[in-house]
Amino acid sequence: MSTRPSVLRRPALVAALCLAALTQAGEPFLREHCIECHDAETRKGDLDLTAFKADLANSENLARWVKIHDRIENGEMPPKKKSRPPADLKVAYLTELSGRLTIADRLRLTESGRAGVRRLTRAEYENNLRDLLGLPGLSLQNNLPSDGSAHGFDKNNDALDISHVNLEKYMETADLALDMAIATRPTAPPCEKVRLTLAGNYEPNIMIMQGDAMLLRQGKPDPAFPPCGAHPHLNQGVHESMGLFTQGSSTGIFRTEDESWHAYFKRFAALYPGRYHVRASVWSMQWDKGTVRPSRGIEAARLSVVQFSENGRFGQPASYVVGYFDAPSLTPQIHDLDVWLNFKETIGFNPASLAHVELYSIGKYGPKLRTMGFTGPCVVSDWIEIEGPFHDTWPTVAHRRLFGTLLVSEFIPKDHPGIRAPVRPRLKQEIIGSNNQPQEPKGIWTVFSPSPLEDADQLLGDFLPKAFRRPVDEATRRQYVEQVSARIKAGDCFELAMRSAYRAALCSPDFLYLIEPADKLDDHALASRLASFLWNSRPDEALITLAGQAKLRDATVLDENVERLLRDPKSQRFVEDFLGQWLKLRQIGSNDPDKKLYPEFSPYLQDSMVSETRAFFREMLDQNLDATHLVKSDFAMLNEKLAVHYGINGVNGPSIRRVTLPVGHVRGPFLTQAAVLKITANGTTTSPVVRGAFVMSRLLGKPPDPPPANVPAVEPDVRGATTIRELLAKHRNDQTCATCHAKIDPPGFALESFDVIGGQRKRYRALDLGDDAPRGSIDPLIKIQFKLGPSVDPSGNLLGEPAFHSITELQDQLAQNQPLLLTNLAHQLLVYSLGRELGFSERLALQKIVSRTQKQGGGLRTLIHEVVRSPLFLTR
Amino acid sequence: MNSFHLGPSRAISRRMLLRGAGALIGLPLLEAMMPAFAASTPTPKPPRRMVAIVTNMGIMPQFFFPEKSGKDYETTPYLAKLAAHRTNLSVFSGLSHPGVAGGHQADRCFLTGAPHPERGGFRNTISLDQYAAEHIGTETRYPSLALAMSNEGGPTLSYTRSGAPISPDKSPRKLFEKLFVRGNADEVAASVEALRQGRSMLDFVSDQSKRLNRSLSAEDQRRMDQYFTSVRELEQRLHNAEAWQHSPKPSVKAAPPEELDDAKEFVRRTKLTLDVAKLALETDSTRLITLYIDTTVLHNITHHGNRPEVVAELRAKEEAQLDVLNGFLNQLTVTPEQNQTLLDRTMVLYGSHMGSANSHSNINLPVLLAGGGFRHGVHLAFDRTNNYPLANLHISMLQRLGIETHEFSTGKTRMRGLELA
Repeated sequence: MSTRPSVLRRPALVAALCLAALTQAGEPFLREHCIECHDAETRKGDLDLTAFKADLANSENLARWVKIHDRIENGEMPPKKKSRPPADLKVAYLTELSGRLTIADRLRLTESGRAGVRRLTRAEYENNLRDLLGLPGLSLQNNLPSDGSAHGFDKNNDALDISHVNLEKYMETADLALDMAIATRPTAPPCEKVRLTLAGNYEPNIMIMQGDAMLLRQGKPDPAFPPCGAHPHLNQGVHESMGLFTQGSSTGIFRTEDESWHAYFKRFAALYPGRYHVRASVWSMQWDKGTVRPSRGIEAARLSVVQFSENGRFGQPASYVVGYFDAPSLTPQIHDLDVWLNFKETIGFNPASLAHVELYSIGKYGPKLRTMGFTGPCVVSDWIEIEGPFHDTWPTVAHRRLFGTLLVSEFIPKDHPGIRAPVRPRLKQEIIGSNNQPQEPKGIWTVFSPSPLEDADQLLGDFLPKAFRRPVDEATRRQYVEQVSARIKAGDCFELAMRSAYRAALCSPDFLYLIEPADKLDDHALASRLASFLWNSRPDEALITLAGQAKLRDATVLDENVERLLRDPKSQRFVEDFLGQWLKLRQIGSNDPDKKLYPEFSPYLQDSMVSETRAFFREMLDQNLDATHLVKSDFAMLNEKLAVHYGINGVNGPSIRRVTLPVGHVRGPFLTQAAVLKITANGTTTSPVVRGAFVMSRLLGKPPDPPPANVPAVEPDVRGATTIRELLAKHRNDQTCATCHAKIDPPGFALESFDVIGGQRKRYRALDLGDDAPRGSIDPLIKIQFKLGPSVDPSGNLLGEPAFHSITELQDQLAQNQPLLLTNLAHQLLVYSLGRELGFSERLALQKIVSRTQKQGGGLRTLIHEVVRSPLFLTR
Repeated sequence: MNSFHLGPSRAISRRMLLRGAGALIGLPLLEAMMPAFAASTPTPKPPRRMVAIVTNMGIMPQFFFPEKSGKDYETTPYLAKLAAHRTNLSVFSGLSHPGVAGGHQADRCFLTGAPHPERGGFRNTISLDQYAAEHIGTETRYPSLALAMSNEGGPTLSYTRSGAPISPDKSPRKLFEKLFVRGNADEVAASVEALRQGRSMLDFVSDQSKRLNRSLSAEDQRRMDQYFTSVRELEQRLHNAEAWQHSPKPSVKAAPPEELDDAKEFVRRTKLTLDVAKLALETDSTRLITLYIDTTVLHNITHHGNRPEVVAELRAKEEAQLDVLNGFLNQLTVTPEQNQTLLDRTMVLYGSHMGSANSHSNINLPVLLAGGGFRHGVHLAFDRTNNYPLANLHISMLQRLGIETHEFSTGKTRMRGLELA
């Protein structure tokens, strides 16, 4: 309940009283230093202070005054050329102004700024259900309409609208989740183990016949089916019927996945969702026209989950990547992994670290020798084992969360006249070529209750508080029980009746919305806020218990729980969701590097980029590193692919690890990570403006104003005649553009040292004009068609700083301003975790977080603790 | 125009009216025949509709695209086939979906615009018709119809929000039965029951939000209003859907179409499918139709390599398809609706996901839009090297259907130069 002081109830009046004088054009400070340019006649920057209304209850006016305050404070205004106000006068005016702005902003926040209800984002919704039901592989997000975004993040009330479309989808997804949770058989589906080879599946067979893959036995070409020479093998059907592909030979693959080639172990497609154990035996070699030699190092085998659609006939690219695994030279390595598989899913394979080749077309256009004429690396898959599904208990945890210990037994219709039983669709193996078959019990199996209403009361009494993330009063629980009762009266069996109540709970606002009471958060709202922040999900039992005991607000308990949440693997959801938005990692795939300009780009490189950024953030979190790591670092998180891309030696294999860098190395921090450099480019060209704006808003926390309408963007040119800088110079020389661009572009100039895929460059790549390009670290099997054009000029200067001449000098300059970097990081974390932008009046609280963190060394982990402890987080 | 306002249970069925009028079909769809429960305004206009058609082996660009842009574009061999509708259609050049490549595989993206169908990890997104169906689907018995003229598998243009393909109706005869022959009583009862339970659940959660509201500030109550409104709107939609289950299917005079299996008869089969599609629109059984025309039998000759005799053969096949399209447009034109024609209220999008099948390119797609209430009669020429997003046309179409959106797939604005009539 609200406990606002009464004076705050008349915001317009109070604001007018407080601010009128200070913001009048006649005010001495303004009159002396500002009006000359910002009057009705000159209107510099489209600002006319004489016509500006003093009414700060209007939030647009308030925002504008905040900007005026900031410009004066930063010394940007009045401009250098004009006479500057004496320091004491400036401070006096700013103190007065900021005091008044704070009051006005508090009023704004009290009246409308702070949301007390917010809908779950798609990701939060999915994670809530996964954790509520204990189903880690539940996949629901893609069934829901996408969420908007405000102030850079989707966890914002202004971005989370709801319509009947959402609601209809919530009904569907609730059913999907309940279908997966409810046991439909008395015993667990049998846990089976299959061993599969890639050969023997339709697509790999074709590749083997054509020469893009080959069969191996005991590390040598399979004598029963020699590698392709000048001609492809003919008669696939005959070979298949002779069993040549299915006698357990290993498959060596030369060609990476492309639009018409996806490898997977299709003879198995999961029927029962659950946890599966996968073992894969892989190695690599250098193939030399018929001879197997040691490989150049550790190659990478990508394992993925592939979900077939319909009957799987038309093939299917990977749904998501499970990981990249070491394929060492000549000696097979067996990888063990746990994977959740849903209906119609199997494991896919890709020799990810290889340069793309098509040996069948070597036969077609070049020396007609296919596999036998080829020298190059090859990744070999011996076999894969898939074992599962594993269930620790039966019925599953998910079922128990809904039905406790009630027994599942057969529903015999004649024993229950007039009772509606659940309809169970018949489970079939729908994928053509998959051999595993369902083993379903006869009849309909469902849960029975000897005393339905008592059980319903108990089960719902247990479920509802979990689902709603707070205690549920008796009256509400009764309403749900009455629903069950009504369904039973209408002829539903117990399972169906309970289902209707569970579905209602999952579509109710109590589940779909985070609800926070006004002012100080209650313990349950705090638990939800914490879990939403660090797990992107619901609080677990431990948090709920602490909230129930009203212990969570205790500073020590809170600290311990922040630690506990951060140590839990679920905190990776925070890392991914936060980076996906703060550094826009979600957009990593939104454009493709031009194939001629960047032939070395591959999906493996892109996935490695994302892993680097996540691993770096994780390292900052685990080692409690300070905010200078946003721009400068003495280590990097790399695998071989990235190390080669960055020109760093001595890193082998696909796994990401911490690599110490020589002093003064440019790599490591977010600023120079390939992911960030790719996201801020368009696939073909880079722009200092785009990258500069990204650095300003995301790393330094000084978002530039949006570009004025009607100014066309600079059109880059890749022919090789002019550089983007030369093109921009014209734009920057225009007086109206120059002021803003002097602030935006400089960091972007230094980042011109990196191309669109984050490679370091001294000269631009070009298509037509220029010198022949040296191969550098580009794989010898990749054809180079680009030229080297004009040189990069990475120099510039940040406003009020000495000039820098290279990216390294820029990094040094930025790293010196640690408070700025830390403040920005704190700000980003607050906007993310509070689900709203901060107001002017909350700057003090932000500064407090920053200074307390500074005193403890300025580390990221400390910062998160301080964010959670701050009144901003503890109060709505 | 007469206007009836009836209670939910008393809408005049089309059949009643047709019986009274002594004719079985061919009457315009009257306002009062729109089920009264769907009519929220006193004088509803006839509905807006959309048909999207793709022919999967491309359309030879040299016979399709005019050179000159604007109203007085020169006709081309293919557009000449549609000469009768010149003032009621717009032809576009320089359109494509950014990032959509993969030759044949781009078919699944024509109505979704999801980039990179050729790539690992591709997941499709919601198609234009399904997006529209989410908003206007419950106003008709079938929210949408996904159709295909195909012998192999179930190629489709329609994809759910999660990117799952929607299996198409492939047999014109079965489609006819689905539309005009009443279903099995048990199935009807089961869907009615499911819809009722859905509504009862919505009543329940709406009560729950009322309880919740009591503890919320006025400002938060305003925010929760959105939830309320969504519940009410969905309730209305489920109510409509249930009413459809009770109201008898329309009957039509036309005889059920013959079954044709021969892949080479794709032209005739396309015509049969479109005939039923027209009946579906006319009886307001649905307002959203997609049709995938699978002419894979032509695949060999599409790689004509510019050999004149092969090009001539392909041209004849493609012209025959345009004749069928012309026939469909003719039929929509001769069907009046209020003081307009069925075509005036129905957008017919026709095109292909391949700009040139000969080279498997997915840029400069051949696309035209007929009818539906735009200022047609023009060739809107966009940049042929730097294509204009096709999804902007999708946005224009969604807006024409009355769906207020400014974003769809890779589209961020409605199509430049395409004005409402």
